[in-house]
Amino acid sequence: MTVAENSRKGLVGRGVSRVDASDKVRGLARYADDLDVPGCWHGVIVRSPVSRGTLRSVKLDPACDASKAVVVTAQDIPGPNIVVMHDRAMPLLAFDEIRYIGEPLAVVAAPTRRQAIEVAEHVRIEIDELPAILTTAELVRKFKAGELKTGVEQNAPRGVGGFAGGAPESPDVLCSQSIVKGDVEKGFAEADQIVEAEYTAGHQEQLYIEPQGLVAIPQKDGGILIEGSMQCPYYIQHELHEALNLPAGKLRVRQAAVGGAFGGKEEFPSMLAGYCALPAMKAKKPVKIVYDRHQDILYTTKRHPVWVRHKTGVKKDGTITALKVDFLLDGGAYLTLSDVVMYRGILHAAMGYRCDHVFVNGIVGRTNTFPSGAFRGFGAPQAIWGVESHVDALARACGMTPHEFRLKNCLRVGDTTPTGMVLRDSVGSPAVLEEALKTSRFADKFAKCSRGRKGARKWYGIGLSFFAHGSGFTGDGESKIGTKVALDLGFENASPVVFIRVSSTEMGQGALTVLSQMAADGLGVDLDRVRYPLPDTGLVPNSGPTVASRTTMVVGSTVYSAACKLRQRLEESAGRPIAGSKSFEQIASKYLAEHGPLRVVEAFKLPDTVRWDQATFRGDAYPAFAWGCNVAEVEVDTRTLEIKVKKVTACFDVGRVINPVLVKGQVEGGLTQALGYAVMEKIGIKGGRFDANRMQTYVIPTALDVPEYDITFVEYPYEFAAPGAKGVGEMPMDGLAPAIANAIEAATGIRMTDLPITPEKLFKEVTTKCAKDAK
Amino acid sequence: MKTITRIWKVNGEEKTVKVPPMRRLLDVLREDLGLKGAKEGCGEGECGTCTVLINGAPMVSCLIPAGQVRDGTEIMTVEGLEKTEGGRLLQEVYADKGSAQCGFCIPGMILSSYALLSRNPNPDEAAIREAHAGNLCRCTGYQKIVEAVQAAARKWPGNK
Repeated sequence: MTVAENSRKGLVGRGVSRVDASDKVRGLARYADDLDVPGCWHGVIVRSPVSRGTLRSVKLDPACDASKAVVVTAQDIPGPNIVVMHDRAMPLLAFDEIRYIGEPLAVVAAPTRRQAIEVAEHVRIEIDELPAILTTAELVRKFKAGELKTGVEQNAPRGVGGFAGGAPESPDVLCSQSIVKGDVEKGFAEADQIVEAEYTAGHQEQLYIEPQGLVAIPQKDGGILIEGSMQCPYYIQHELHEALNLPAGKLRVRQAAVGGAFGGKEEFPSMLAGYCALPAMKAKKPVKIVYDRHQDILYTTKRHPVWVRHKTGVKKDGTITALKVDFLLDGGAYLTLSDVVMYRGILHAAMGYRCDHVFVNGIVGRTNTFPSGAFRGFGAPQAIWGVESHVDALARACGMTPHEFRLKNCLRVGDTTPTGMVLRDSVGSPAVLEEALKTSRFADKFAKCSRGRKGARKWYGIGLSFFAHGSGFTGDGESKIGTKVALDLGFENASPVVFIRVSSTEMGQGALTVLSQMAADGLGVDLDRVRYPLPDTGLVPNSGPTVASRTTMVVGSTVYSAACKLRQRLEESAGRPIAGSKSFEQIASKYLAEHGPLRVVEAFKLPDTVRWDQATFRGDAYPAFAWGCNVAEVEVDTRTLEIKVKKVTACFDVGRVINPVLVKGQVEGGLTQALGYAVMEKIGIKGGRFDANRMQTYVIPTALDVPEYDITFVEYPYEFAAPGAKGVGEMPMDGLAPAIANAIEAATGIRMTDLPITPEKLFKEVTTKCAKDAK
Repeated sequence: MKTITRIWKVNGEEKTVKVPPMRRLLDVLREDLGLKGAKEGCGEGECGTCTVLINGAPMVSCLIPAGQVRDGTEIMTVEGLEKTEGGRLLQEVYADKGSAQCGFCIPGMILSSYALLSRNPNPDEAAIREAHAGNLCRCTGYQKIVEAVQAAARKWPGNK
């Protein structure tokens, strides 16, 4: 059956309005801080003032009247003091070794926030300070000096450090992993020249507009209900029920409206839920913590800083003979889920181009800073920043233009990725590249770039990037998680409707709408026959976390398949087909009257042809790849060195487009976040602490900063999960930074290798170049 | 604590509040008047999510002490939009164009749109961008906001 035949109601592929739009434009959507919880107390966190040390004691000053408050420390934790994450190593509240500034040591809760703050100010802490590693640069220095021992030997695959295998040798290494294809030394021997370079980028803050916020509400049965802003309700349950000494089912988690997340509300809410639940259990009162913006920037996860070194062998004709990549992420103080971030990073660090000899060495180093975490792209933007900057250097080394070089080398159907996956189906390469080159008139414009021409008032440059993005979980993740969805047929005001029961959350990306479209399409009814309430672990099966560009492809296709089954059940019982909402209403009403409510449960299955070996990191790294090409045009003011990104042309293959309006909106937003990563958003570490703590100092793009966007899609549907969507959420974050850096080089003649590219950094390079030219 | 009494016209209705003079207008609206549409995104006037219209002008309510808002002041929050023709139109086009994603910035954003179109029903793109530059959005890249305002301008009362 083809996809077109499959589409019953024509809802798939249609740009219907968001199902949550009405509440949002009327100000009725209720976010964490809007929840009315009677008798709710407020929690305040007491944090470590040092980057590393031994905690001697945490005590309330006896002079302080805390009769109206509760204070919880590590001693009050009912179960093991851990947030599970990937290695069961991070305490919920520090008790022995402190590993970063701001690490929670105690939580105070009281009827008002002011009372809680007053008591928190009387919590006395004794710490013996220890030496700390504070910067990514220090990790890089250690790596180059051979002090970050990982056990990864050249060309020898090994087990995973940290969570999955043997412990890494060096305490500064949280985990490591390599990818090996062919023999990279042989590849270098075949090369006419070798091109080496290093690329770096700092932290990036998600800066969702709604700060983190959760409330913990004690239940009559002794359990706890967590409600608020989050991406992954089942994560909170999984990460925390042990520490709270509750059976998983008694830690019930319910999502409120979420004001943006971008990965920032993936794993961090599991920690925040603990800070709310502990005092709630002790005080037997609901406890709410809503961060203000300062706390939210200082004390939540950020994108991992990266250092990546490429060493590449090329022949004179532009053939790539060897790709060797060292990929180092700064994980901060604890592993949390950095291993998987690094996996996605190394899987994208040498992706995109044909090469028989590849070696990628991935390491997550440890610093005494806030744990780095999930952020849209999850390691891929850092990897693609490196490789797509480097490909321009390779093109130049071979005397080719960037587009000729990419067209010559890009992976196509039948080619093999670094992990040995043969690309067979749904390959939007080279289509996205050709389309973006054509739409942007790249070749013509590239010939006209300024290249630092003297005497100009403005320099013009155009640059591009080409990339793939793995859809869904890395490796065997989708098989492991076993996505389940349920559809419930029931009455609502005497009218039959279908409820979607999944744990996927709406955080702005449009899940409520596209999954509703897919359900309605599968059922053959109008959108208004489908309901998708926000997830509640008490009511929905675990369809996995809302991450990894997986929701539309994996959960959506499972919903679609469940909807087709539900339709079939109803049609069989009625002995006639459902033809639109009216006949659905008749058939479903009759069914409900005779049999009562109907639930259809469905699980996602990967086709047997998808094979992955986690131990050797060989095989099909993802169920499918989405493909993208970004073209950036920039203007650099030669007097101020202000960088203005004027236009971005982008083409994506995200498989079947379910809702063209929403997908465009999501891509525009992602490209804007990538614009910020490339040229605006700057946050460093000073004395172990983030050096920006407000929107005045961490500056994101406004309506005046964004370029003109020209976005197109080419559709290469995913064959194995009707209706054929692949991932889209993360991909617009992946490639714009290198496209802009490449454009800046075309404009100025200067290669910038550290993000964000600010006028200050460019000034330094221009000055150096001028001094060199003068000699 | 010393309180003052203020009588305002909030979303067209007369409201009396008794509040400490330095209490933020945002808190008075959200907590005392139950108008939870206005949001706090930063608390220091940078993000614009708490934007409300004071006598028709967009202002960040997190920086305004209630005592500074005089008796008789007209305050409009997102909840008041649907009482106006232009407001209903904006709600419709914001929904149609996919301008609201996570929705958190929208209560402020859409009031900035309303203030702009009320003042200038035929804005060019630069004027639209300028009028919304004080409202940060992390989801949309602003393109769908601009498109919504352009669409609303085409049908704005008096422009038809």
